[in-house]
Amino acid sequence: MSDIAKEKAARLLRKRGSVSSLSSHEVKAKEFLGKTKDSMSTVSYMDEPGHHDDLPRPAVQMENSYQLGPTKRFPVVTVNNILKDVLTSYLQEKKYEAELCRQMTKTISEVIKARVKELMIPRYKIIVVIHIGQLNDQSMHIGSRCLWDPTSDTFSSYAFNNTSLFALANVYAVYFE
Amino acid sequence: MDELQSGEETSFVVDEVSNIIKEAVESAIGGNAYQHSKVNQWTTNVVEQTLSQLTKLGKPFKYIVTCVIMQKNGAGLHTASSCFWDNSSDGNCTVRWENKTMYCIVSAFGLAI
Repeated sequence: MSDIAKEKAARLLRKRGSVSSLSSHEVKAKEFLGKTKDSMSTVSYMDEPGHHDDLPRPAVQMENSYQLGPTKRFPVVTVNNILKDVLTSYLQEKKYEAELCRQMTKTISEVIKARVKELMIPRYKIIVVIHIGQLNDQSMHIGSRCLWDPTSDTFSSYAFNNTSLFALANVYAVYFE
Repeated sequence: MDELQSGEETSFVVDEVSNIIKEAVESAIGGNAYQHSKVNQWTTNVVEQTLSQLTKLGKPFKYIVTCVIMQKNGAGLHTASSCFWDNSSDGNCTVRWENKTMYCIVSAFGLAI
């Protein structure tokens, strides 16, 4: 029975892609110049080439796994340590610079994603979000809400700061039912 | 599990979601100037409104909505995200909104069940 489950997990892992924010040339920005109450908004999203060919693709048939919940839970504490590790090693003595931090956010998010993937937690989808900002006597508020199954899904977060910048790393783990 | 194999095309529709987010932001912080005491409430309102509208779509998705509200003070901010998921069914959408005193960045991630 466990062999079938392992085979299915291997099939699922092969099927999943990973989206990286490094391929910035694929980002589409739609300019929405609605001048309502002097505010402006822009929308951006990732579009993969060939995404629109998916319509004629036959729906993937999944077999029942008869699993009610995850066999291996997401290790929040381990991931917390990974986040602390990565953020302090990459940003310990750095000053805020626009170009450096632009590269840093992308690199750090890829590194964290790779390290969490190494943990090999089966059937979990991972989302890593990194914010790096300048400390300039301004005020900022970052909040998030999730609609999911709290028994199987979870998140991990770590905030780092030094004299000139702050960094926030969030990892969300969602179970694929 | 049977209903998932009916061949129904459910994937993340960016336009729908971006409209939902824009409406939520406009109604929560539309004509306001940055106020430290209210920011907490604003982020909560934006996110909760977005989430409730997303659930009304009735799609078999789990959602993660993140909101950043920042005062305009000349400081820089970089955000990046990296996702390990199924490209054909999952997606994300980010809306950047600003007015004279603050920036608001809302990201919504949708993962198919």
